[in-house]
Amino acid sequence: MRGAENARNFSQCDSLLLGDKCGAHTFPYIETDNSSAIVEHEATTSKIGEDQIFYCNQRGIATEDAIGLIVNGYAKEVLNKLPMEFAVEAQKLLQITLEGSVG
Amino acid sequence: MLKIKDLRVEIEDQEIIKGLNLEVKAGEVHAIMGPNGSGKSTLAAVLAGRDMFRVTGGKVLYNGEDLLEKSPEQRAKEGLFLGFQYPIEIPGVSMVNFLKTAVNELRKHRGQKPLSASDFLKMMREKKELVEIHSSLTNRSVNEGFSGGEKKKNEIFQMAMLEPRLAILDETDSGLDIDALRIVANGVNQLKSKETASIVITHYQRLLDYIIPDFVHVLYDGRLVKSGGKDLALLLEEKGYEWIKEEAES
Ligand SMILES: Nc1ncnc2c1ncn2[C@@H]1O[C@H](COP(=O)(O)OP(=O)(O)O)[C@@H](O)[C@H]1O
Ligand SMILES: [Mg+2]
Repeated sequence: MRGAENARNFSQCDSLLLGDKCGAHTFPYIETDNSSAIVEHEATTSKIGEDQIFYCNQRGIATEDAIGLIVNGYAKEVLNKLPMEFAVEAQKLLQITLEGSVG
Repeated sequence: MLKIKDLRVEIEDQEIIKGLNLEVKAGEVHAIMGPNGSGKSTLAAVLAGRDMFRVTGGKVLYNGEDLLEKSPEQRAKEGLFLGFQYPIEIPGVSMVNFLKTAVNELRKHRGQKPLSASDFLKMMREKKELVEIHSSLTNRSVNEGFSGGEKKKNEIFQMAMLEPRLAILDETDSGLDIDALRIVANGVNQLKSKETASIVITHYQRLLDYIIPDFVHVLYDGRLVKSGGKDLALLLEEKGYEWIKEEAES
């Protein structure tokens, strides 16, 4: 916004990869209309490792449940900050997307 | 309980386990010793069901059933526990959540109802005392940022929670000070009963001052080349492995 002096922004893109046949491409796009604005951006990529899955398996947790635990744990930090009705919705979405992602 | 017959295992076309025989009966404690690279961790991983290793021959029976056919989680639910030489970190997954899932999967398998949150926390408190593990550790993510010793103690804590029938501990004593060593030994001794058995993989005789093994085996170049009682461990401590290698190769 042009009239916003000294505006600050921080965007973060964290990706979690499931399996070894995928990658993540994030396109952060930030537009500023006021030259006093400070914008920052950060991106990380992490991956669920086979040894993490095996560790869960060895404790009696099936692969699909293990991936659920790890993904939910990963997303929890963000989900916890959402208003309740969003959080519930997002949780459901997460479950749907996970179905069939395990070979 | 466990019968291994002429087991052969390969990784990347290289044979690591070269015809291994071992029988473990309920109530027994077996120690497996041997120089680095002899195949101890490979044996442990194959028994737990790690699929990167290829079994090319032999048979493993667990409680009379073909173990190698079962999935890793099935083996775990039937009471096989592996204490990892290098426990894995799982960021974002709390110890509480992880163990609650594991314990309840086990209960489901046994036809028991899941534990209530309060019963589960009570069980955790009790077992935590047993292994003298800090509360702060169980509030964190699985193994994340734990020191080497804390990770090893956490394996014993999980073992205490899951009460396995057959526990395989892969160098759980390595890198531990004497207090932590005593705790690890305590965990194993507490588990000991007529219905359970343990295989303790170790480099050091000193663990066997606390855990008295019924049998000591030496694994060298993919085979158990020598077996004996506790005295064998003392002999190895005194004389090293050279004489074993010479005997095995002659
Ligand atoms: N993932 C792997 N890829 C290739 N070789 C491996 C792998 N894991 C183990 N090995 C080889 O198998 C042999 C036995 O290793 P390991 O079972 O870890 O021995 P130990 O536990 O007795 O020290 C070693 O020669 C090691 O290099
Ligand atoms: Mg090893």
